[in-house]
Amino acid sequence: MDTQNSTSTATVKSKSSLKSSLANFFSDVYDVYRFIVRFFKEAFVPPYEFQELLKQCYEVGVRSLLLISVTGFIVGLIFTKQSRPSLLQFGATSWIPSLVSIAIMRALAPLVTALISAGRVGSSIGAELGSMRVTEQIDAMEVSGTKPFKYLVCIRVLATTIAIPVLAIFNGLVSMLGGYLNVAVNEGTSFSTYVQQFFQPLAFIDFESSIIKSMVFGFTIGIVGTYKGWNSSSGTAGVGKAANSAVVTAMFLVFIEEVIIVQITGWFR
Amino acid sequence: MDSGENKRAVWVGLFISIGVVILIIAIFTLGNQQKSFVKGLHLKARFSNVSGLIKGNNVWFSGVKVGTVKNIAFTGINQVDVEFNVDPNVQQFIHQNALATIGSEGFIGNKTINIEGGTPDAPVIKDGTMLNSKGMLSTDDIMKTLQKNNENLLSITSDFKTLSKDMVQGKGLAGALLSDSSLAMRFRAVVANLQTTTSSTNQMAIELNRFGRKMNTKGGLADKMLTDTAVFAKLQQSANQLQDATAKASTLTDNLNRASSKLNTTDNAIGVLLNDQPTATQLKSTLDYLNQSSIKLNDDLEAAQHNFLLRGFFKKREKEQQKAQQAPKQ
Repeated sequence: MDTQNSTSTATVKSKSSLKSSLANFFSDVYDVYRFIVRFFKEAFVPPYEFQELLKQCYEVGVRSLLLISVTGFIVGLIFTKQSRPSLLQFGATSWIPSLVSIAIMRALAPLVTALISAGRVGSSIGAELGSMRVTEQIDAMEVSGTKPFKYLVCIRVLATTIAIPVLAIFNGLVSMLGGYLNVAVNEGTSFSTYVQQFFQPLAFIDFESSIIKSMVFGFTIGIVGTYKGWNSSSGTAGVGKAANSAVVTAMFLVFIEEVIIVQITGWFR
Repeated sequence: MDSGENKRAVWVGLFISIGVVILIIAIFTLGNQQKSFVKGLHLKARFSNVSGLIKGNNVWFSGVKVGTVKNIAFTGINQVDVEFNVDPNVQQFIHQNALATIGSEGFIGNKTINIEGGTPDAPVIKDGTMLNSKGMLSTDDIMKTLQKNNENLLSITSDFKTLSKDMVQGKGLAGALLSDSSLAMRFRAVVANLQTTTSSTNQMAIELNRFGRKMNTKGGLADKMLTDTAVFAKLQQSANQLQDATAKASTLTDNLNRASSKLNTTDNAIGVLLNDQPTATQLKSTLDYLNQSSIKLNDDLEAAQHNFLLRGFFKKREKEQQKAQQAPKQ
């Protein structure tokens, strides 16, 4: 009798927990929605904080450039190297530049840039805003009349939305060079021929989709980082949690968005 | 704005500028390759099957990329109109009777439109020209042919299976050769004979070769015959004489023939002698009579020698003959 009671109690608790989780999830979704709406409401109205935007662009873009470039070079080199055996079986190694270009320009350049940026920038933003929240600096800013949302959130989201597409362009270029290194070593192809073959299978829609995709990724990384930091709590532990959560959520969303954007791009192709 | 912010602004500006420049270069490179920024001539071609051609595929003329496909649209049953742009620089080389065909950049590559042919007697293309088209051999056609080949191969292998089975069972000449040892032995003997014959032929060929070499020896008869004109003239003369002799012999033979044919007839003395039996009998009896008459005449002459009128003459001759015989001894 006691066992049955305890089982039914556990079931009730489990159902209650599930309901509570679902409620929390949808509550979070609503909070995110409000957060995004607030961003659009405040981001494009004066006063414009150009200096802060510049600073954030520097942090997000320029300071990530080396990391993104090295990563892009390695991705291009390794992707070319790993693609070679399959194409070699068909005697179609001359197709490597075309294959690499499609892979890099359509997917790898924006995706790798977004993932690296999510790790580096997203965590940084989450931790920065989280620490400001737990140390009540944001509250102080609100009290002092400064608009902390505009100054802290909008600027960072704008910075990631602007800088990450540029980083993706750099990443694409450097990946192309990485691919060329492998092709030049193995086939002795000249750079001009490689470039010609690299661009041959591409269309303008590939550039457009990559740039738009990178902007969406940048926006997502910025929004997730700032949202997690903005809503962090539980003292200093919350800062780490916010940083970690910002990275994981941003990366997850980047993949989800990749699937959706590829699907949408396919309709226009 | 302090110097740190200035420096940061420069870096960000440089970062974004370089990124934008790279993007612009990439766009122009792509645009240049796809002739996107060139106002091209719009051409059309109507196909019944475009085999997977899509917008953006390349247009080739004599192996050179001259444009891209701009639009593909159905215009009727089994009618697909393809619009494509062509570089105006090649306008003067493409004539209106040129053919547009669907090609491929490789065995599994992108589809292309290939412009081929065209003769100078036709005017050059203009904006909106509809080129004649020619269907291509599709993969389905190739697969159909391949399927037909497979069926043939199957038929051949089936026949070969039957054939090999019959051979194993000893049917037919090949089967008998394989299963009948005596036949195999005979066949082996035939082969051995053939080998011997071949060897003999070989030997004969060697001999002929040697003979030929001898014939070619300088100063030999054959060589003289082949090279010395005087010998040839003599030979010709001999041949002529031989021909004359042959003609005479022929005449002689004819005469003999005629004579012999006359011998078979009874209208001449010899023919009667040879062929007429009663005459022969008669002649024989005549000869018998003559013989008997000569015997009797001999007796009569013997008797005449002993006649007193003639006895002196014979005695006198006998004495002279005796004297003539004795005179040389003395």
